[in-house]
Amino acid sequence: MKYGYYPGCTLHQQAEEFDVTTRESARALGIELEELDSWQCCGAVFPLATDAVINLAAPFRALAAAYEAGVELVTVCAGCLNVLRRTNNLVQNDDETRDKLVDFVEEDYAGEGRVHHLLELLRDEVGFESVSERTKRDLNGLRIAPYYGCLLLRPPDEMEFDDAEDPQILENMLAGIGAHPVSYPLRMDCCGAYLPIGELEERRNRAAVAVMRSASAAGAEAIVTSCPLCAHNLEQCAQDVPGAEMLPVLYFSQVLAYALGLDADSCGLEPDGLHAGVCEKIGIGEVK
Amino acid sequence: MRKIGVFVCHCGLNIAGTVDVKRVAERCAEIPGVVHSEDYSYMCSDPGQNLIAEAIEEKDLEGIVVAACSPTMHEPTFRAAAEAAGLNPYQVQMANIREQCSWVHPDDEEEATRKAEGIVGAAVEKVRRDEPLVPHEIPITKKAMVVGGGITGMQAALDIADAGYPVILVEREATIGGRMAQLSETFPTLDCASCILTPKMAEVGRHPLIELMAYSEVEEVSGSVGNFRVRVRQKPTYVDWDACMGCMQCQQQCPSEVESEFERGLGTKKAIGVDFPQAIPNRPKIDPEHCAHLRGDFCWLCSRSCPVDAIDYEQEERIVEEEVGAIVLSTGYDMLPQEVLGEYGYGKYPDVIDSMAFERMKSSSGPTGGEIRRPSDGEIPKEVVFIQCAGSRDPDKGQSYCSKICCMYTAKHATLYHHSVPDGQAYIFYTDVRAGGKGYEEFVQRTVEEDNALYLRGRVSRVYPEGDKILVKGVDTLSDENVEIHADLVVLATAVTPRTDAREMARIFNVGTDEHGFLNEAHIKLRPVETTTPGVYVAGAVRGPRDISDAAAEASGAASKVAMLLSREEMETDPLIAEVDEGDCSGCLWCVAACPFDAIEEKYLTRRVGDREVSRRVVEVNVGVCQGCGACTVACRDGAMNLKGYKDEQILAEVESICLIAGSQQ
Amino acid sequence: MSDSWQPTIVAFACQWCTYAGADLAGTSRIPYPPSVRVIKVPCSARVDPSFVIRAFQRGADGVLVSGCHPGDCHYMEGNYLTRRRFSLAKPFMSYLGLEPGRVRVEWISAAEGQRFAEIVREMTGDIRALGPNRKMRERL
Repeated sequence: MKYGYYPGCTLHQQAEEFDVTTRESARALGIELEELDSWQCCGAVFPLATDAVINLAAPFRALAAAYEAGVELVTVCAGCLNVLRRTNNLVQNDDETRDKLVDFVEEDYAGEGRVHHLLELLRDEVGFESVSERTKRDLNGLRIAPYYGCLLLRPPDEMEFDDAEDPQILENMLAGIGAHPVSYPLRMDCCGAYLPIGELEERRNRAAVAVMRSASAAGAEAIVTSCPLCAHNLEQCAQDVPGAEMLPVLYFSQVLAYALGLDADSCGLEPDGLHAGVCEKIGIGEVK
Repeated sequence: MRKIGVFVCHCGLNIAGTVDVKRVAERCAEIPGVVHSEDYSYMCSDPGQNLIAEAIEEKDLEGIVVAACSPTMHEPTFRAAAEAAGLNPYQVQMANIREQCSWVHPDDEEEATRKAEGIVGAAVEKVRRDEPLVPHEIPITKKAMVVGGGITGMQAALDIADAGYPVILVEREATIGGRMAQLSETFPTLDCASCILTPKMAEVGRHPLIELMAYSEVEEVSGSVGNFRVRVRQKPTYVDWDACMGCMQCQQQCPSEVESEFERGLGTKKAIGVDFPQAIPNRPKIDPEHCAHLRGDFCWLCSRSCPVDAIDYEQEERIVEEEVGAIVLSTGYDMLPQEVLGEYGYGKYPDVIDSMAFERMKSSSGPTGGEIRRPSDGEIPKEVVFIQCAGSRDPDKGQSYCSKICCMYTAKHATLYHHSVPDGQAYIFYTDVRAGGKGYEEFVQRTVEEDNALYLRGRVSRVYPEGDKILVKGVDTLSDENVEIHADLVVLATAVTPRTDAREMARIFNVGTDEHGFLNEAHIKLRPVETTTPGVYVAGAVRGPRDISDAAAEASGAASKVAMLLSREEMETDPLIAEVDEGDCSGCLWCVAACPFDAIEEKYLTRRVGDREVSRRVVEVNVGVCQGCGACTVACRDGAMNLKGYKDEQILAEVESICLIAGSQQ
Repeated sequence: MSDSWQPTIVAFACQWCTYAGADLAGTSRIPYPPSVRVIKVPCSARVDPSFVIRAFQRGADGVLVSGCHPGDCHYMEGNYLTRRRFSLAKPFMSYLGLEPGRVRVEWISAAEGQRFAEIVREMTGDIRALGPNRKMRERL
């Protein structure tokens, strides 16, 4: 099946390796992704003010365009997923907001389309067993701490991503590709990325370091996320805070694509840099 | 043509001030069949009633219309007056010309008078078609059944039996006692639950009028108030309870030890035996899932150890049919399943327990012999966090309602903890402290002031292990501070929920439930222990969260309702119910589907045609169950079903009269 | 039609809710037009749609069928039957040529005297605008 791909800004700018690995993983699994024509930023934050209609125009436009093109949307960014999915729910359920958006964007769209996260497609369409069968590399039981953060799961009744108190989707994906998912308490806590404004920077650091420490204490050798903001923030804080534990932070698509056969360089793995430990464990280069 | 009398009341000026009552009486006199028509200032007064009685006697009236106030006001008055004068009380109709006429049309005497003429005229046409009716009398089976043998059911059974009526007490488990048997001490007096419960259990066990059917469940109920037929399934215990003496040799010998639900996962039990030593009946049962013999292994240890040869591995379930006049439902409650409380790690971390497990821990006959110890390592916890509203008052994730008992038992737990571990600290996260009850608020105050409990107003967000402690993260909304406690033990006050099969039980007994599955009472305030099915009563936590005091009070309330019912030889039922003309009935059963009370049953009429028996399906109305709503009459395609007092021809006659009189007034 | 013309409205009222609501309008002295004649029934489920048709045949200008609010039926589910029956019966009556405003099915509780009065007022106004019912009327 063909899907409309919505990479989101981060994947187009700072984190191209996330984008490459997403495309390659999808291709290896038989999911056809076609990038949506002239998409723009989702806005990054779903507005909570009821009159903030203008913030919804961009995601509405993307949703309408995908519907127009006859494809369902796929994203791998927790922020994009959150904004697009919640905007779509609102368009479906709130006539007044929908009418305003339709008038403003001049696209006739009533929320008929759907938005997926790539992980959901892996779980619901491809199946993790099938993913497992297509792996070309063994991750050698690499102990990975899956990190959910906030946006994928919350609010639960709108996101319907996974069990909001005990999600398993990342764990199952990691186990499927031969890694060892590590259980640790703070896997759903906020990383603090939204806090670094003024004096809250200290709190941001505290939140991120706590997550890092929690994963590390549980014996993890790396952290995997599906949120570019979390990935950046965790990594940055670990570098900024003296004496903090430092675990390599990887995007789920990086380990996925690597297991599916993409070379380490294209996956953004740095055997001589941040990912030295990880690369040593998984043995860069070998394909079964 | 029947002779009708019309009596128009002035109600002082209430009616006569607006309606020309004389003209109404005169017009009515012109209606064919009306042989008497008069007006009077106050018909409900003694002289007014005398006027009616005299007219009935002198003119042999066969129906009367009293044009006065609403029937809800004085219909019983005039029915009684008519009956005293020799007229059937159901041949009395009220024409409501006060509430629905004079009081709402004060400014237009002509229109009000016309309307009054129309109202009275319709009532005349209706009463002309009223048959004399007598209430049905049905005999009553002077025996009751109580379903559920917890404190509520026991109290109800004892009260009914003490009133002199035999009671069958049906209990699903092998022993009575219910939830209360699991408790340690009780609020607000801290008397031990066993000390007040076990004597009552023994009393139930030996009461000559109480027949105990333990390890049994109700399968099906038919019949109606006064005469229910109940099918009870007695599950196999694999022990001949009549032969058994209760020595429990079998329990000592049994090699299979399994987790005990009664001990809330903190202790074990044998595959044969009783849940607790004071069980009534004091007879063991085999748990077939865990019995080595019944699972096909080579084990006869219980059978060999039994001095009276009571073990019967071949025993099968038995179905018993009982007839009773009244039923009390007191099947109690369950607790929220642990899956719902994922964020508290309940079920995942051993040192996060629920309140019932804490009760077992504190119970002197419990798994720790009454000592408070961490399940993980048996250490005495020095910091204990109690989390209230775990699943209660939480419409998003748990139950929307307040579980009512948690504030009090959590205060009790903190007190008991302080008594056991004086140098320990109890923290209580709460939403509001609801301590409405005799001595309750004082108890909570003592918990704070004397027993040193630290109350924190707020919810807990996360619970997870850190080292050998459990980190509890929450917020104190009064100081607006985040709180982190490194606890040794976490106790969740989990929500009280309906029994998982409550809706199925509601269906069996034809009782309604609320949106959660708690059984509905007939009226939440004024008929709290009755249900909409006559003869079926509810008491205790089956209605919603209750503490022991409330449950016992309701049990006695339900018992007295049962005693009231059973004290009569026969029971009168309202005659205004449906009746079927068997000749016209085609047996289509559409009425059966329409009836909200399952009051209509099919039956077969057989007659001999030549040398053959021909049978034909018709329906029959159960007079004890029918409530007289009339839904069946409309469903009937054949016009065979009618509602006494509201027959088709009566309603149509009213319609015609209204239209005819209004037409003639134009 | 002049404003003085008084239409005839037959109201079937369940004894637990609407009849008591009409009584409450009386005890609260809330005036409404003298067009309505109430027929008390135990439950709105007792009202056969054929009663409604008969009323129109005999010259009624409007009919109100009224019971307890859904969920509040004294007989648990009688008014649900009413709702189902009249959701079928009403289109049938308009098929017969009756203007929709002449038949109304309303839920009026025992506490809603004001609402009873309002509905009678509304119906009376609507039917005055429609004029006398001539569609089904039989010459007697």
